[in-house]
Amino acid sequence: MLSKYQARAFFLGGTAVFAGIFLVLTFDTHRQIPKQTNADQITPQVAAGKKIWEANNCMGCHTLFGEGAYYAPELTKVVERRGKDWIKVFIKDPEAMFPGQRKMVKYDFTDEQIDQIIAFLDWCGKVDLNGFPAEPPLKKLMQPAADTASNAGGELPPAVAATIPLPAMFEQKSCTGCHRILGKGMPGVMLPNAVTGEVVPAPALDLVFQRKTREELIAWISDPQKIKPGSPMPNLVPALVSPQEVEQMVDFLLGLKAHAPAN
Amino acid sequence: MKFQSQKIAYWFFAAAMLLLVLQIVYGFIMGFARIGMDGLHDWIPFNTARATHTNLLVFWLLLGFMGSAYFIIPEEADRELMWPKLAWIQLGSFLLVGVVALIGYHVNWWEGRKFLEIPRPLDYLVVVNVLAFLANIGLTVWNGKRYTTTSIVLYFGLLAAALLYLPGMIDFDNQTLDSFYRWWVVHLWVEGVWELIMGALLCYLLIKLTGVDRELVEKWLYIIVGLTFLSGILGTGHHYYYIGAPRYWLMVGGIFSALEPLAFLGMAIYALAMAKKGGRRHPNKAALNWTLGSAIMSFVGAGFLGFAHTLPQVNLWTHGSLVTAMHGHLAFWGAYAMIVLAMVAYVLPIMTGRKLWDNAAAGFAFWLSNIGMVGMTGALAVAGITQVNLERRMGLDFLAVQKEIEVHFIGMLLAASLFLVGIVCFLWNFWRFGLPSDEAVNSDVRAAERDLSRIESTPAAS
Repeated sequence: MLSKYQARAFFLGGTAVFAGIFLVLTFDTHRQIPKQTNADQITPQVAAGKKIWEANNCMGCHTLFGEGAYYAPELTKVVERRGKDWIKVFIKDPEAMFPGQRKMVKYDFTDEQIDQIIAFLDWCGKVDLNGFPAEPPLKKLMQPAADTASNAGGELPPAVAATIPLPAMFEQKSCTGCHRILGKGMPGVMLPNAVTGEVVPAPALDLVFQRKTREELIAWISDPQKIKPGSPMPNLVPALVSPQEVEQMVDFLLGLKAHAPAN
Repeated sequence: MKFQSQKIAYWFFAAAMLLLVLQIVYGFIMGFARIGMDGLHDWIPFNTARATHTNLLVFWLLLGFMGSAYFIIPEEADRELMWPKLAWIQLGSFLLVGVVALIGYHVNWWEGRKFLEIPRPLDYLVVVNVLAFLANIGLTVWNGKRYTTTSIVLYFGLLAAALLYLPGMIDFDNQTLDSFYRWWVVHLWVEGVWELIMGALLCYLLIKLTGVDRELVEKWLYIIVGLTFLSGILGTGHHYYYIGAPRYWLMVGGIFSALEPLAFLGMAIYALAMAKKGGRRHPNKAALNWTLGSAIMSFVGAGFLGFAHTLPQVNLWTHGSLVTAMHGHLAFWGAYAMIVLAMVAYVLPIMTGRKLWDNAAAGFAFWLSNIGMVGMTGALAVAGITQVNLERRMGLDFLAVQKEIEVHFIGMLLAASLFLVGIVCFLWNFWRFGLPSDEAVNSDVRAAERDLSRIESTPAAS
């Protein structure tokens, strides 16, 4: 059987061989990574965003490239998923955006810093990650249910919706992060009510004029928690949306009545 | 205990035990936050609790390794520690740096790189500190009366751990490169050189507890650590699948990660075979339990549960989910926490001259903490698998899924409470042993052990 000398030779030899292979692969990887990650697009703004990401230990809750702490969402594709406008609004006051839900620290970032973080995440989203994060394969099965739920309010016919310009504020103020309106926005966003735990869909807004009066809509947007405690609808007034902007939004929504097919 | 300077190990262990308790406290803070009880959010947000929890783990394990080295090296080298005073300074400064770092995490001062959150200026102090440690035990080995495989493997494990800390200090603007070299530290520590340290401690304990011939135990130590490096070095690839590194890592990482459980299986068989050969007649049953328990649980936690999600096809869905946390808990517990606790259980009677090794508290400590940890791992497994299916496979929103899996964290908290009771039992015994005493140097405990090893010693048959 094996002698101690042979055992030691096995250990030292094996370690040397595999450490050698590892170093060769590392050398090659180091050479290939710049291309695979679009390193030429790492601008000073992106680099600054990475520094902010690290200085605040964002990975202590979130994951990026799947690495982190699983307490908060994966952010690799967040710019693609939510859009830059939504993220800007969200970072300024995370708890307002998800009332009663899991909390995020409210950092007092400047607009410039927020742009840097978004630039960094945008760069991350474009790195070739060998297929991660994968498109959920069963989403197709879930999609009809999600669409039905979030379109419960009903939509204008696409041909009609395409002719109506959507005021920029609906995207800038993050409405389209959850609601569908005039064919834009996230389909099928469903979040739990923080009080009841019931999962509720964000309804499409095209035909909201059929369901609510002007006063009801203004009261709802101004303080959703007062009307429906625990609702996932964020409380963005007045910090992120001014009362005047609320009125403009409501007037636009009610104005859609003119475009509704007569039936 | 043969040498006065070995007594320093006691204080390393005592500090490690305190930090273990603190680690558990922060674990509870996170567990409660996950079921919506996040009242501490304004003072200890989740990222602070998380960094503190994982860094405390690394911190107390390193203290445990260092304490073990300060105990083992003088004995193996058959001489007093080179500079006993330096060991004290090293302990004090290591604790100081660690505590400053932990406080830093509470005031948003950190580096924000998973497991290596310690702020850069403190990194340099850690390096100086570890150099002092390595010089101290290194020169003790060098000037020793004898060189043993155990002490050499232990020394080189610690040295390699220190060297591998350095790649984690390189700055990159590229997140992928940053992550790539971060795993040089994290992976090559826990699935490489730390196993060298663990193997050496296991080997030392087996020699002492089973009385099997040193040549035989040490020969197999080489085989085990050889297998570890053979699989573990290229196994680093399982961290490189989906972070922007070339695609060949999927194959390299997949194949060598699949071999990693073999090293752990080898270690478990090795420990059990030696214990069987030795007849398990050493009176310190608690230390033997922890030693064999460590070998077995590291196979289950690090080997088996690690393999459960290192195949690239599986990892595509589990990467970045609670499945990783599931594996992490049992792996660290089995491989590293238990081996340190085994050292503590072995060393305390020798150092204090009190034979508190076969009492109810020692039994409860072992069984409750292990059952509790397996329960926590189970709860995390169910939560993780549910998360993967709902979020990754069906595409439901992150927060909606987190609401669905909250109930499993209630289970986790219950299991954690059981675990905590076990640890409290362990600490209760630790307390009852009292302080190391001068009379214990060359005491009868030790004499009994020497007799045992004479009786039980078997010739290097195979």
